[in-house]
Amino acid sequence: MLPLLPFFIFTGFFLIWPVIAVTLRSLHGNKNEWTFANYRPILKAGPYFHAFVVSLKLSIMTAVIGSILGAFFAYVIVKYARGKFGAVIDSISAVFANSGGVPLAFMFIAAFGTEGVVTVVLKKLGWDIYAGHFTIFSFTGVVLVYSFFQIPLMVLVFKPAIAGLRSEWEEASTNLGASQLTYWRRVAIPILTPSFIGAFFLLFAGGFSAYATARALTVGTVPLVPIIIGTLVDGNVVSDQANLGDALAVGMIVVATVAMAGYIWAQRQAAKWRSS
Amino acid sequence: MKRISLKWPLIALSSTFAFILFVVPLYGAAAYSFKGNGGKGHSFANYQWLIHADGFYPSLFTSLKLAVLAGVLNLLLMVPTMVYLNLKGQKFKPLVDFLCILPLIIPVVSLAIGAQVAMPEFLQNTEYELVFFFVIIALPYTYRALDTSLQTVALKTLVEASRSLGASWTRTIIRVIVPAIRSGITGALFLTFALSIGEYTITSLLHWETFPTWTVVAAQQNILGAIAISVFSFVGAIVLLTAIALFSKKRVQQVEVEA
Amino acid sequence: MSKKDRVSSTLELRGVSRHFGSVKALDGLDLVVEPGELVALLGPSGCGKTTALRIVAGLEVATSGELLVNESRYNEVPASERDMGMVFQSYSLFPNLTVSENIEYGLRARKIDADKRKKRVDRMLELVGLSVKAKAYPHQLSGGQQQRVALARALAIEPRVLLLDEPLSALDAQVRGQIREEIRRIQLELGITTLFVTHDQEEAMAISDRVGVMSHGKLEQIDTPIGLYNAPATPFVASFVGQANRIPAQITAKGKARVLNQKVNISENAGNFEEGQSVNVIIRPELLEIVSESDTDATRGIVALKSFLGPMTKIGIAVEGAPLIHLNIASREVRKIEIGEKIAFKISSDEVMAERV
Repeated sequence: MLPLLPFFIFTGFFLIWPVIAVTLRSLHGNKNEWTFANYRPILKAGPYFHAFVVSLKLSIMTAVIGSILGAFFAYVIVKYARGKFGAVIDSISAVFANSGGVPLAFMFIAAFGTEGVVTVVLKKLGWDIYAGHFTIFSFTGVVLVYSFFQIPLMVLVFKPAIAGLRSEWEEASTNLGASQLTYWRRVAIPILTPSFIGAFFLLFAGGFSAYATARALTVGTVPLVPIIIGTLVDGNVVSDQANLGDALAVGMIVVATVAMAGYIWAQRQAAKWRSS
Repeated sequence: MKRISLKWPLIALSSTFAFILFVVPLYGAAAYSFKGNGGKGHSFANYQWLIHADGFYPSLFTSLKLAVLAGVLNLLLMVPTMVYLNLKGQKFKPLVDFLCILPLIIPVVSLAIGAQVAMPEFLQNTEYELVFFFVIIALPYTYRALDTSLQTVALKTLVEASRSLGASWTRTIIRVIVPAIRSGITGALFLTFALSIGEYTITSLLHWETFPTWTVVAAQQNILGAIAISVFSFVGAIVLLTAIALFSKKRVQQVEVEA
Repeated sequence: MSKKDRVSSTLELRGVSRHFGSVKALDGLDLVVEPGELVALLGPSGCGKTTALRIVAGLEVATSGELLVNESRYNEVPASERDMGMVFQSYSLFPNLTVSENIEYGLRARKIDADKRKKRVDRMLELVGLSVKAKAYPHQLSGGQQQRVALARALAIEPRVLLLDEPLSALDAQVRGQIREEIRRIQLELGITTLFVTHDQEEAMAISDRVGVMSHGKLEQIDTPIGLYNAPATPFVASFVGQANRIPAQITAKGKARVLNQKVNISENAGNFEEGQSVNVIIRPELLEIVSESDTDATRGIVALKSFLGPMTKIGIAVEGAPLIHLNIASREVRKIEIGEKIAFKISSDEVMAERV
């Protein structure tokens, strides 16, 4: 037990204690009294509630896009990418899945910004993507950029589930006289669903908590909870509630925890059907 | 009647999709970074500007410094911990595993605010406070890398053999265990380093200047230059990591064959 | 329609081959399975037996040759329309469906109405003795139970032909014997034409009407179990089926050889040998008998091994110039024989198989 003390002390002090501290302070009002006042702006209509809504919308959207497209790619990769080629795809997916942050945002600005290379090329071909409401610096832009790492993350997480579909099941289904569609409807999709849901939760949590990418892209143009926390900390925005930022931070922890609980629950469901 | 094979249409469709979603932005960004002044022609002007810009070297140096420290601290903390965990501390494994997953669950933003609230004054006044948090953020990957490595090595046997031959604990760890889990250690080290160099969230919320935060500020003056360096580091990282992944797989296969 | 009314089908393979580039997984297989017959394809891994079965099922396509069911050509019929029930080696039950839902899967695909389905499922469950497990999930069943459900599922659709792909290989030894007998019992009761693939010769011999021994994509011999055992057509069959001793010998004349200083006749099926050629003679343990020390024609050796196998005991005899010779004796009579003792034995067969060295 003793040799583990350094670890426990380290994580206790730098991980657990900050979480506890911010939770405690979020429950203290302007005059240092115990109160829920910091949470009220979040829970009733207003800019902070709105920010949560937008953040949730963003996370759900990118999770949906990421999970559906990622599942599609995962299927194609498992079925057709064998051996060395498959290994290369794995590595590339891993790299893309962990990309994010500032360089990613800049990369998309470079490609799809108002003077971006791709924008210019498309304009030459007759399609001005900025003619409508689109801009890379908007909500839609953020969704596009997030997809760059959400989709590979989905591929990474979902691939094992698809690989776990035994060929015997499809062969038995065919042998018994059922069509491909029936097989998918009655066997494959039900089996894949828990893993899919779990992966969705994972993508959702990631999309919700992401900060750097959104910051580099939007700087206040899109109201997202992580960004607002940033502006409160910078002192660019001052609120009546001194510890509002803490409440927002705790709110984020709650959302992320719920998502992770969903992920763990789904994983357990998926494991239930693994044969003894 | 035969079933129509979906194989090639699917491969074509997904390749096109993948190309549009992933290759196009990468290429576009790379092309952009070579743009000359006024947007016409190609040049290295942006990269040159960047290198001469105010704050480039200091922030880069800071990032490297902090990343190295984080990597070293991480190993010093986690290697003995993981070794003990797998040898005698088995019953603590679930707890440690959970603690190492936490940084993935707790949004980094929230951790940053927590740091602001919780950390003592003297710590908050130095940029070295970032080192500790970089280690925390790297925990999930470190745990995984070291644990996987330790599982594949016959740890108990190695230790018993070494001890029965008269070696002390320190000697055993340094001379026997560390070489055996070399791949896990390099993996963890590399990941910590990469994470630390690129970390933006906590750094900017705690108002320190490292390379990533400097780039964002510099971008406001010269977007082209900032983009140039970002793209370069990004594409470079992708190429590097893919190459490493390809080569390290080969090494694993070789070891398996020899065994 | 009850099982007894259904006409059993004939299954025929004519010159069926399967080539992958230069690899010949199956090389010109000719096989007829008569109505109601249980034929086993027996051989080591890679001999082509599974490929043959999968071609019959439609899961793989033959590169040449014809597949016929009741005289009609089946090569182009899609696998889902062949009306054949297949039981796989393991893990073929749909994990997200209950036992009943698994069994009725093929029936639902055929759009049979709910009442009829229920009746048939109940009957199948009774047939395999798992009525009590109707609502269980596959992961809650033992290996043997899972295979019984797989069998019920395959039979529920009242197929023309039953195909079994090493159904017992993944089971524990003890369970294997039980399930194997159940398969035979049910097969006989339903009178269904069956093709059964396995690498375990004991299994194949125990329940089949005929056994086809395969090697390197070719059928070496097909005969009743006793036929294969007593009159193996090739050395491979002789050593693969049943146990055998391989003893170095020398050809003395056409059709004759000298082994362990005894004279034997070589079976015609062994092929042609030259005088003086060194061969291995293949002799089954039960064709060796212990004789008294005084017998001059006998071979002498020392008892090196005694393995109690239940009703029989296997004796291993060390003889100069030969590998360990195995001999079976009824356990009752073995009490007087001790390890280290001198012993004498003779070959008690008219004809033996031989192979090149």
